[in-house]
Amino acid sequence: MSQANQGAETHGFLGEEFLTWLWFKWETDGGEFTLSGGRIVGIALDDFLSFAALTEDETEQTLRRGLPTRTAEARTALRQGHRLRKARVLIAEGERQWTATIDAPTLSLSGVKLPDDAEECESEMDRTADRAANWLALHEIVQALYRLFLKERLHDDYQSTGAEKQANWMAL
Amino acid sequence: MAAIRKSGGVVPFFWQGKIVDPRNDEFAEHLSLQRFRTIENAASEEVSIGWVTPADPTGDNFSPEELDGGIGTWLRFRIDKKSMPMKWLQIHRDAAEKARGKKLSAKERRELKDDLMDQLLPRVLPTITLVDALLFEERKTVLLFATSKSAKEAFGKLFFETFSLQLEPADPLQSGLRSDLSEEDKRTLERVNPIRWPNTALEQGQWRPVPVAAAAPPNTERPVEQNPGEAQSPQPQASPETATATESTEHEA
Repeated sequence: MSQANQGAETHGFLGEEFLTWLWFKWETDGGEFTLSGGRIVGIALDDFLSFAALTEDETEQTLRRGLPTRTAEARTALRQGHRLRKARVLIAEGERQWTATIDAPTLSLSGVKLPDDAEECESEMDRTADRAANWLALHEIVQALYRLFLKERLHDDYQSTGAEKQANWMAL
Repeated sequence: MAAIRKSGGVVPFFWQGKIVDPRNDEFAEHLSLQRFRTIENAASEEVSIGWVTPADPTGDNFSPEELDGGIGTWLRFRIDKKSMPMKWLQIHRDAAEKARGKKLSAKERRELKDDLMDQLLPRVLPTITLVDALLFEERKTVLLFATSKSAKEAFGKLFFETFSLQLEPADPLQSGLRSDLSEEDKRTLERVNPIRWPNTALEQGQWRPVPVAAAAPPNTERPVEQNPGEAQSPQPQASPETATATESTEHEA
């Protein structure tokens, strides 16, 4: 288990960059992503944002309720170069919708709400099967979105392309 | 038996290697070997961790049907913890000191505690925690429905003892390494450094929105963390090695 803690410690910043990138993509491209296999998912940031401190001595900033992405505090945090550490996101695919708070450094999820149980569910076993499929779908969507981010982030030209566009957006 | 939860926290883990097919009896036998064992009557402080099934919290019965979680396998483990209620210890110590008319020595306090543990612990019921997980054999992925450090550690240990496989949390590094990125991208991922976004909450003209790569560890090649915008920038933008220093200067400005 120690290996994983190591991964979160050494590469936790990538999770924070990923979450900030999701916000950037949502605001600039509408938040629709085409995943492998042609799956189309929509992402939106919801009512909870927590910004990572730039240094250990700085205070972490958390914004709750309403539309925190529209607040002056959130814009200021972006202008100061802060990354998102946690955010509550809405994820939709077809008629299914999940909400979850993503913890960026670990990519773990808290406060998840699955889509409503399918109408066809008649027994507890059916409900378990339906929910298990929805848990897996949520995990796979997050992993697929993260992979999309990595493809862009690890590209040779990232600094002069995607990163610069995001820097301009953060400076708005 | 109630259905699996539809809300809460989840931590994904990966494993490498082959696991016993959950549809086979052998899988249930593996769980059974690490089944939960009660400490209800134990006379000492202890913790018991082991597998149970969603249908039977005792750990006495395992069968593949009881683990059916649709496209996944529904695992459940139980953590029982028996500990001495400290309030009782304090009450007895206060009573002893009041009767003696003076404070107990360290040795006497230790003896009193040992006596009370012998007397009280067999009567103390353990606290019970049931934790669920969904295992997806083909994807070599398991979703743990608990986010606490202790639950994650207990699960990793129990999983290893049961299947002799080490779990790796799906953190940003492992998730990338487990994806279908090219080998070159994976090598880059292992060495990648953070982007340091410029502080533009400063006076206009003092900044240009070019991201700056953080300082690279010594002796590390950084093919991705170049800063092509740096040379074009009219302001003295931070070089990778001086990014932090420049930031603090900007704050002062």
